[in-house]
Amino acid sequence: MLQLLVDAFVLGCSYALMAVGLNMVYGLLRIIHVAHAALYTLGAYVGLYCLYHLSQSLWLSLTLGAVFPALVGALMYRIIYSPVLSAPRYVALIAGAGVFIASQEFYRLIAGPYPYPFNAQFKFLSISSSHLNVTETQMLIITFMMCAFLCLYLIINNTNLGLMWRACTQDMELAASSGININLIIAINFIIGSALAGSAGVLMALYRNSVFPTMGAMVSYKAFVVVVLGGFGSIPGAAIAGILLALAESLLGMVPFFNLPRDAIAFLVMVLVLMFKPKGLFGR
Amino acid sequence: MKRYLGLAAALMLVCGIAFSAQAQQTVKIGFITPLTGFAAADGYSSLESAKLAVDYVNEHGGIKGKKLELVSYDDACQPDQASALTKKLIENDKVVVMISGSYSSPSRAAAVICQQAKVPFTSTYAVHPSIVEAGEYCHRIGMAAPIQGRTGGYFAARELAAKRIALLIMNNDFGVSLAEAFKETAIKLGAQIVYEKKYPLGETEFRSYLNAIKAANPDLIYAPGYYNEAANIVSQAREVGLKCWLMGDEGYDSPKFIELAKSAANGVFITTDLNRDSDRPMTQYFLKNYKKRTNIDADMVGASAFDAVMLVSHILNKVGTDANKIIQYWDTIKNFEDCATGPILMFQNRSAIRPMDIQIVLNNKFRYFYRYYEPEVIYLGKGSEGK
Repeated sequence: MLQLLVDAFVLGCSYALMAVGLNMVYGLLRIIHVAHAALYTLGAYVGLYCLYHLSQSLWLSLTLGAVFPALVGALMYRIIYSPVLSAPRYVALIAGAGVFIASQEFYRLIAGPYPYPFNAQFKFLSISSSHLNVTETQMLIITFMMCAFLCLYLIINNTNLGLMWRACTQDMELAASSGININLIIAINFIIGSALAGSAGVLMALYRNSVFPTMGAMVSYKAFVVVVLGGFGSIPGAAIAGILLALAESLLGMVPFFNLPRDAIAFLVMVLVLMFKPKGLFGR
Repeated sequence: MKRYLGLAAALMLVCGIAFSAQAQQTVKIGFITPLTGFAAADGYSSLESAKLAVDYVNEHGGIKGKKLELVSYDDACQPDQASALTKKLIENDKVVVMISGSYSSPSRAAAVICQQAKVPFTSTYAVHPSIVEAGEYCHRIGMAAPIQGRTGGYFAARELAAKRIALLIMNNDFGVSLAEAFKETAIKLGAQIVYEKKYPLGETEFRSYLNAIKAANPDLIYAPGYYNEAANIVSQAREVGLKCWLMGDEGYDSPKFIELAKSAANGVFITTDLNRDSDRPMTQYFLKNYKKRTNIDADMVGASAFDAVMLVSHILNKVGTDANKIIQYWDTIKNFEDCATGPILMFQNRSAIRPMDIQIVLNNKFRYFYRYYEPEVIYLGKGSEGK
């Protein structure tokens, strides 16, 4: 049972890492950033490239796998979203979906359709006893997620940047008129969110030992469920909802002959939450 | 004037060459396969193998002296695109035979169109029984799900004597139709199904299912699906400490499966029709030249597409391009050896019948393990299956 909880927790970490970026964008711009999952796959491919061509070290591929998508994420805002922000919100949604679909084919053209193994060598803590077995990769994912969220929490609550960010989420125009460079804040917002997505891509590639063009497909809509569950715009909500969803999926998955696939469970939970708490579990 | 005459002569010569090239027409076969989307890897294997077979045929005399030409389109593994492209291949490209190098649902859609247009059709590795049910023009080169699932069932419940079996099923035409046949056979042979679960395509996290399976204490897990998901299933199964037998299907049959699952792949049994240990010349020709062509090791999907082109060109060489003669001859084919899988013993209800192979992964390689010739295993039953 403890094992089950740990496995679910690791899965939840991956959901949370993805959902936070999505939620940060929503909190600020009120758009649903579908192309976020493209950055997840990008992170995995950049990490893979490092591994095959630069160094066997996981740390380098994790770093570049976060930095590169972060820059691409910022560019994505400048090129794709920024011109359509004044249009109705579904325009940005469609633009994002277009970018996401195109990105999958782009990765396929560059790297080929076959999945690649992700054989990184690294040393990290692990637990193995008769009751509980936590692999090095699982430990790494949990630690990374904890650190990332702690940093994010500190930045948002204890720095000037965080203050400006919070001001922007409350009222963009008012923030701008108070002298906040909102373009900079939005760019930083995209950079942080995309870096998290990219590193989630590298970590999951390591965990699953595979990188392929459509690896973001499942993640994209799962992250969306997590955002809805946690409440649009709420960062702690996204983190907690990610872990809760993974637990719910895993526990219901334990029941034999209960033949509802994992995703169906996720969306069922989403519908239930929307029926009783339309703003999500932690929505404002 | 002389100069113009020379020019005119040259022009005529060029025209003459062009005309004779026109006169040497090609025999066209249509091919649909997913080159984009989630199934792009299988589409690539499939198309490259089909091209390899076309090159082989053309090097060995073509179709009655004419060149064989493959006209292929990308169906993205979508049934609606498959039917539109099949129409296009039949009406615009005037193909004489249609081959689907795609999954079960697009293949079914294409089969229906071909049946209406009375163009001979064959699926390659798609397993769903209903593909050949579209009518007398529709055939199958690969292994039908009822046969393949049944073979798995015999191997698990009789040869391995597994009494308690867990099923972890990919929730699509492929996984479900294999699991149905497996389950029926295993229960008939006295095994008990202790766990059953369907998972969606693209699933990556199986630990919660596998922990539940561990609690059910099975002798064997049968997990019909594709290699991407399967690699996660087997490596996570070993990780959670499951020590029972693991069994899969032809969907595992790709070197990528072993690359992704690493050492956890060792000991996994699969039902397949590509026997890499076979000394049949065509099998070895395919394995060697596919690797040479693409720099990737061959898989079952490719072998099926290769065989489809080989079989179709054999038929076209025998009876020409008349659709009715093609399908009449098709039903009478016996012991077809010019294929990478098989040999194909015959076509029963338009589905290829061949000895069924069990392979095992040993030392990170697929190895031959067991072969079934028994009629009750390898032939379709007398019932309605695969009609």
